[in-house]
Amino acid sequence: MIATVLGSALLILGAGVILSAAIGLVRLPDLYTRTSAIGTAAGLGVAFMILGVVVLDFSWLNLLKGVIAIVAQLITSAIGSFALARSGYLTGSLPAAITVPDELAEDAAVGASDSSANDEAPTAGSANA
Amino acid sequence: MIPLAVAIVVGALLAAAVALAVVRIVLGPTPADTAVAGDLIFFAFVGLVAVFALLFGIVAVLDIILVASVLGFLSVLSLARLLQGGRR
Repeated sequence: MIATVLGSALLILGAGVILSAAIGLVRLPDLYTRTSAIGTAAGLGVAFMILGVVVLDFSWLNLLKGVIAIVAQLITSAIGSFALARSGYLTGSLPAAITVPDELAEDAAVGASDSSANDEAPTAGSANA
Repeated sequence: MIPLAVAIVVGALLAAAVALAVVRIVLGPTPADTAVAGDLIFFAFVGLVAVFALLFGIVAVLDIILVASVLGFLSVLSLARLLQGGRR
Protein backbone atom coordinates (compact mmCIF):
# COMPACT_ATOMS: atom_id res chain seq x y z
CA MET A 1 0.00 0.00 0.00
CA ILE A 2 2.75 2.41 0.99
CA ALA A 3 4.77 1.27 -2.02
CA THR A 4 1.79 1.89 -4.31
CA VAL A 5 1.24 5.40 -2.98
CA LEU A 6 4.94 6.29 -3.08
CA GLY A 7 5.47 4.86 -6.55
CA SER A 8 2.37 6.59 -7.92
CA ALA A 9 3.52 9.88 -6.41
CA LEU A 10 6.95 9.46 -8.03
CA LEU A 11 5.35 8.69 -11.43
CA ILE A 12 3.11 11.77 -11.22
CA LEU A 13 6.05 13.92 -10.07
CA GLY A 14 8.15 12.75 -13.00
CA ALA A 15 5.35 13.43 -15.48
CA GLY A 16 4.89 16.90 -13.95
CA VAL A 17 8.60 17.66 -14.33
CA ILE A 18 8.43 16.60 -18.01
CA LEU A 19 5.37 18.83 -18.44
CA SER A 20 7.27 21.77 -16.89
CA ALA A 21 10.06 21.13 -19.40
CA ALA A 22 7.46 21.29 -22.19
CA ILE A 23 6.07 24.58 -20.84
CA GLY A 24 9.61 25.95 -20.81
CA LEU A 25 10.09 24.69 -24.35
CA VAL A 26 7.17 26.83 -25.50
CA ARG A 27 7.74 29.92 -23.38
CA LEU A 28 11.54 30.41 -23.31
CA PRO A 29 12.97 32.88 -25.83
CA ASP A 30 15.83 31.12 -27.65
CA LEU A 31 17.33 27.72 -28.44
CA TYR A 32 19.85 27.67 -25.57
CA THR A 33 17.38 28.26 -22.75
CA ARG A 34 15.07 25.67 -24.32
CA THR A 35 17.93 23.19 -24.50
CA SER A 36 18.73 23.88 -20.86
CA ALA A 37 15.11 23.23 -19.88
CA ILE A 38 14.99 19.94 -21.79
CA GLY A 39 18.40 18.67 -20.69
CA THR A 40 17.84 19.19 -16.98
CA ALA A 41 14.10 18.85 -16.48
CA ALA A 42 13.38 16.00 -18.88
CA GLY A 43 16.34 13.98 -17.62
CA LEU A 44 15.21 14.50 -14.02
CA GLY A 45 11.60 13.68 -14.94
CA VAL A 46 12.53 10.37 -16.57
CA ALA A 47 14.75 9.59 -13.57
CA PHE A 48 11.78 10.16 -11.21
CA MET A 49 9.59 7.93 -13.39
CA ILE A 50 12.21 5.14 -13.37
CA LEU A 51 12.38 5.42 -9.58
CA GLY A 52 8.60 5.17 -9.41
CA VAL A 53 8.65 2.02 -11.57
CA VAL A 54 11.28 0.49 -9.28
CA VAL A 55 9.22 1.27 -6.17
CA LEU A 56 6.02 -0.11 -7.73
CA ASP A 57 7.67 -3.27 -9.06
CA PHE A 58 10.38 -3.88 -6.48
CA SER A 59 13.05 -6.55 -6.66
CA TRP A 60 16.81 -6.31 -6.19
CA LEU A 61 17.40 -6.97 -9.91
CA ASN A 62 14.94 -4.21 -10.80
CA LEU A 63 16.72 -1.90 -8.35
CA LEU A 64 20.04 -2.59 -10.10
CA LYS A 65 18.51 -2.00 -13.54
CA GLY A 66 16.83 1.17 -12.30
CA VAL A 67 20.05 2.61 -10.86
CA ILE A 68 21.88 1.89 -14.14
CA ALA A 69 19.03 3.45 -16.15
CA ILE A 70 18.91 6.57 -13.92
CA VAL A 71 22.66 7.15 -14.16
CA ALA A 72 22.61 6.61 -17.94
CA GLN A 73 19.60 8.91 -18.30
CA LEU A 74 21.11 11.77 -16.31
CA ILE A 75 24.44 11.59 -18.15
CA THR A 76 23.05 11.12 -21.67
CA SER A 77 20.36 13.80 -21.44
CA ALA A 78 22.98 16.36 -20.42
CA ILE A 79 25.38 15.33 -23.20
CA GLY A 80 22.61 15.16 -25.79
CA SER A 81 21.26 18.62 -25.01
CA PHE A 82 24.80 20.00 -25.08
CA ALA A 83 25.38 18.47 -28.53
CA LEU A 84 22.10 19.90 -29.80
CA ALA A 85 22.94 23.38 -28.49
CA ARG A 86 26.40 23.21 -30.04
CA SER A 87 25.06 22.20 -33.45
CA GLY A 88 22.39 24.89 -33.16
CA TYR A 89 25.10 27.51 -32.56
CA LEU A 90 27.17 26.20 -35.47
CA THR A 91 24.17 26.30 -37.82
CA GLY A 92 23.35 29.91 -36.97
CA SER A 93 20.60 29.75 -34.33
CA LEU A 94 20.98 33.17 -32.75
CA PRO A 95 20.76 33.75 -28.98
CA ALA A 96 18.03 36.00 -27.62
CA ALA A 97 18.66 39.73 -27.71
CA ILE A 98 18.87 39.93 -23.91
CA THR A 99 21.98 37.66 -23.87
CA VAL A 100 24.55 40.24 -22.76
CA PRO A 101 27.97 38.48 -22.62
CA ASP A 102 28.06 36.41 -25.82
CA GLU A 103 31.61 35.12 -25.35
CA LEU A 104 31.43 32.61 -28.21
CA ALA A 105 30.67 35.45 -30.68
CA GLU A 106 33.53 37.50 -29.16
CA ASP A 107 35.92 34.57 -29.61
CA ALA A 108 34.76 34.10 -33.20
CA ALA A 109 35.25 37.83 -33.91
CA VAL A 110 38.77 37.80 -32.41
CA GLY A 111 39.71 34.69 -34.38
CA ALA A 112 38.39 36.20 -37.62
CA SER A 113 40.30 39.46 -37.11
CA ASP A 114 43.49 37.52 -36.27
CA SER A 115 43.28 35.37 -39.37
CA SER A 116 42.55 38.41 -41.56
CA ALA A 117 45.42 40.42 -40.01
CA ASN A 118 48.02 37.69 -40.49
CA ASP A 119 49.49 36.47 -43.76
CA GLU A 120 48.03 33.45 -45.46
CA ALA A 121 51.08 31.18 -45.13
CA PRO A 122 51.39 30.94 -41.28
CA THR A 123 47.66 30.37 -40.97
CA ALA A 124 47.83 27.49 -43.41
CA GLY A 125 50.93 26.14 -41.65
CA SER A 126 49.27 26.25 -38.23
CA ALA A 127 46.16 24.62 -39.68
CA ASN A 128 48.26 21.79 -41.06
CA ALA A 129 50.23 21.36 -37.84
CA MET B 1 0.06 -3.14 -10.29
CA ILE B 2 -0.84 0.52 -10.64
CA PRO B 3 -4.21 2.20 -10.06
CA LEU B 4 -6.01 3.17 -13.25
CA ALA B 5 -6.53 6.75 -12.04
CA VAL B 6 -2.77 7.21 -11.58
CA ALA B 7 -2.14 5.90 -15.09
CA ILE B 8 -4.74 8.31 -16.50
CA VAL B 9 -3.24 11.30 -14.64
CA VAL B 10 0.32 10.47 -15.71
CA GLY B 11 -0.82 9.85 -19.29
CA ALA B 12 -2.67 13.18 -19.36
CA LEU B 13 0.39 15.08 -18.08
CA LEU B 14 2.66 13.43 -20.64
CA ALA B 15 0.14 14.01 -23.43
CA ALA B 16 0.02 17.71 -22.54
CA ALA B 17 3.83 17.78 -22.68
CA VAL B 18 3.79 16.16 -26.13
CA ALA B 19 1.15 18.66 -27.32
CA LEU B 20 3.30 21.60 -26.17
CA ALA B 21 6.34 20.10 -27.90
CA VAL B 22 4.30 19.78 -31.12
CA VAL B 23 3.46 23.48 -30.78
CA ARG B 24 7.19 24.20 -30.61
CA ILE B 25 7.82 22.00 -33.67
CA VAL B 26 5.20 23.95 -35.63
CA LEU B 27 6.45 27.35 -34.45
CA GLY B 28 10.15 26.51 -34.21
CA PRO B 29 12.22 29.09 -36.08
CA THR B 30 15.30 26.91 -36.64
CA PRO B 31 15.78 23.16 -37.23
CA ALA B 32 17.59 22.91 -33.88
CA ASP B 33 14.38 23.94 -32.05
CA THR B 34 12.56 21.14 -33.86
CA ALA B 35 15.26 18.68 -32.78
CA VAL B 36 14.98 19.78 -29.13
CA ALA B 37 11.20 19.36 -29.24
CA GLY B 38 11.65 15.89 -30.73
CA ASP B 39 14.00 15.05 -27.86
CA LEU B 40 11.28 16.02 -25.35
CA ILE B 41 8.70 13.95 -27.25
CA PHE B 42 11.04 10.97 -26.95
CA PHE B 43 11.34 11.44 -23.17
CA ALA B 44 7.56 11.66 -22.83
CA PHE B 45 7.24 8.52 -24.96
CA VAL B 46 9.57 6.63 -22.61
CA GLY B 47 7.39 7.71 -19.69
CA LEU B 48 4.23 6.56 -21.51
CA VAL B 49 5.83 3.19 -22.25
CA ALA B 50 6.66 2.81 -18.55
CA VAL B 51 3.09 3.61 -17.51
CA PHE B 52 1.50 1.28 -20.06
CA ALA B 53 3.91 -1.54 -19.18
CA LEU B 54 3.02 -1.15 -15.49
CA LEU B 55 -0.69 -1.03 -16.32
CA PHE B 56 -0.61 -4.24 -18.35
CA GLY B 57 1.86 -6.02 -16.06
CA ILE B 58 4.75 -6.38 -18.50
CA VAL B 59 7.78 -7.58 -16.55
CA ALA B 60 10.46 -6.23 -18.91
CA VAL B 61 9.57 -2.58 -18.26
CA LEU B 62 12.96 -1.57 -16.88
CA ASP B 63 14.82 -3.30 -19.71
CA ILE B 64 12.68 -1.36 -22.19
CA ILE B 65 13.42 1.93 -20.42
CA LEU B 66 17.16 1.20 -20.24
CA VAL B 67 17.45 0.36 -23.94
CA ALA B 68 15.20 3.28 -24.88
CA SER B 69 17.27 5.83 -22.97
CA VAL B 70 20.51 4.67 -24.59
CA LEU B 71 18.92 4.64 -28.06
CA GLY B 72 17.48 8.11 -27.41
CA PHE B 73 20.98 9.34 -26.64
CA LEU B 74 22.24 7.92 -29.95
CA SER B 75 19.32 9.49 -31.82
CA VAL B 76 20.00 12.90 -30.29
CA LEU B 77 23.68 12.71 -31.21
CA SER B 78 22.85 11.72 -34.79
CA LEU B 79 20.28 14.54 -34.99
CA ALA B 80 22.95 17.01 -33.87
CA ARG B 81 25.31 15.61 -36.48
CA LEU B 82 22.57 15.82 -39.11
CA LEU B 83 21.91 19.47 -38.31
CA GLN B 84 25.51 20.30 -39.12
CA GLY B 85 25.31 18.46 -42.43
CA GLY B 86 27.67 15.69 -41.35
CA ARG B 87 30.47 18.07 -40.33
CA ARG B 88 31.78 17.91 -36.77
